[in-house]
Amino acid sequence: MDVIIQFANSLFKPLVDLGAAPLMFILLSLLAMLMRVKPSSAIEGGLKLAIALTGIGAVIDILTGNFAPALKDFVKSTGIELSVTDVGWAPLATITWGSAYTLFFLFILVLINIVMLIWNKTNTLDVDIFNFWHLSIIGLLVMHYSDNLLLATLLVIMLGVMKFINSDLMKPTFNDLLDMPDTNPTTTTHLNFMLNPLIMVFDKLFDKLLPFIDKYDFDAAQLNEKIGFWGSKFAIGVYLGAFVGILGQQSVHTTFTLAFIGGVSLELFSVVGTWFISAVEPLSKGITNFLSAKMKGRQFFIGIDWPFVAARPEMWAAANVIAPIMLGIALILPGNKLLPLGGIIAIGLTPALLVVTRGKILRMIIIGSIMVPVFLWSGTAIAPFVTETAKSVGAFPAEVNQDVLISHSTLEGPVEKFLAILVGKMGESFSFEYIMMTIGALTAYILLFVWYAKQMQKRNKVYEQKREAA
Amino acid sequence: MINILAACGAGVNSSHQIKTALEEEMKKRGYSVKVDAVVIKDINKAMMEQYDIFAPISKPKLGFDVQIPIVEAGPILYRIPAMADPVFDELEGIIKKLNK
Repeated sequence: MDVIIQFANSLFKPLVDLGAAPLMFILLSLLAMLMRVKPSSAIEGGLKLAIALTGIGAVIDILTGNFAPALKDFVKSTGIELSVTDVGWAPLATITWGSAYTLFFLFILVLINIVMLIWNKTNTLDVDIFNFWHLSIIGLLVMHYSDNLLLATLLVIMLGVMKFINSDLMKPTFNDLLDMPDTNPTTTTHLNFMLNPLIMVFDKLFDKLLPFIDKYDFDAAQLNEKIGFWGSKFAIGVYLGAFVGILGQQSVHTTFTLAFIGGVSLELFSVVGTWFISAVEPLSKGITNFLSAKMKGRQFFIGIDWPFVAARPEMWAAANVIAPIMLGIALILPGNKLLPLGGIIAIGLTPALLVVTRGKILRMIIIGSIMVPVFLWSGTAIAPFVTETAKSVGAFPAEVNQDVLISHSTLEGPVEKFLAILVGKMGESFSFEYIMMTIGALTAYILLFVWYAKQMQKRNKVYEQKREAA
Repeated sequence: MINILAACGAGVNSSHQIKTALEEEMKKRGYSVKVDAVVIKDINKAMMEQYDIFAPISKPKLGFDVQIPIVEAGPILYRIPAMADPVFDELEGIIKKLNK
């Protein structure tokens, strides 16, 4: 055994020593070629990933370099401990794709998908390869605490299986919300919808206690039209930069600088985000070609990224209204260290609200606001892990001050992050206390999902009856 | 040159896949098109007026009426050629009619 490990080490160590960007360039290109992608497209993808990693690093550097000192003054002058910089989803996705383990978790999840399709445990063929990073980051979080790949893999598999089941459960609701004919195969396995069970608890409370509230729902499309550019990325970056500058008692000059740096960073994050989505594209194509060839002749739903639900204006209206509420909550929430910036438009939350409430806008806003603390606490809890991982893949300058932390205020799967931390801490010590806590938390999580699945089956039966009656 | 506006929820993933696919396929069919990918949320009337065709991921409800032809481009994202072809055909039909 030792010989094998030594051999593997001598083979891989020089590769790993190259650093994350060169390593992932080589790995991603090779893997794409293995999936029979043309060598030129495979190398294009690999290079784009390396460029994206480097680019994200540069933007994080601009953002934290300017914001970290101002946030420190902000903490000093207001007494509010919000010292973690919220960089939004793009850096976190890039950092995760910068880890070779992501390719491993991807491979496991593709296998699980195939097995579940063959055994008829799911109807969803997942072609949204890019978003596998959401489960990978959970696996990486387990390993951050325990260095236990087996535990990380088990948790990733469990959540992966539940996501495929959830994607089947939601399909009739998508047809309803988006006027899709039954022949349309669109669905999604996106992690943000794993918050559905918790949202549904509150939605049922509304049914029981405040059913009349739905009468006051307003036209979401008109609200969005009125908000216009004031709700766009760069505008939000400008407000929050100015907010930090003013409350941090910076000079007028610095306040303007912060405002514009905020706007620039939010725009650049999503530009670099597009590079690295296209980096994964050749691999995605290779895997999907392979999958659809294997599954020829079978009818299935196709799982794509969540943005097809963005056609519903309620999703944006809720995100727009929740943004200032989130800022307010962040300022007073005990235990929160994140000042919302990159993640303040909560697209990791509002699609799930839309699916559960089926577009009842006031419920979306109220339940969404109740969910905000869960996201902020989760974002705060993972900040040390995110910062360290960013440094280890070279997306964050390692020489910056120890106390500069980055994270994401509305990262999909906040509950799952806590599960990962628990599982990780259990794997670190295997103490009785942590074993019991982990078993308890996982049981509660699964039971809640089972209850939710029953509710969704009831909902789907009603859809079916309606269809038959029509 | 036909200007097409593609749109999705984040303006980074789905709409860019649509952009790449439309540009590649239309070039193959001999048309020159330029596709911009944006977030649905950021679309307004003035922006829409600068385009010839609107290619959203699924039919959006906007705060105003869309005056240009709409092609729902979602099926491109299934990554199965047989399902994407009707979208390309529909788009080609509209481009021919525009006769630019």
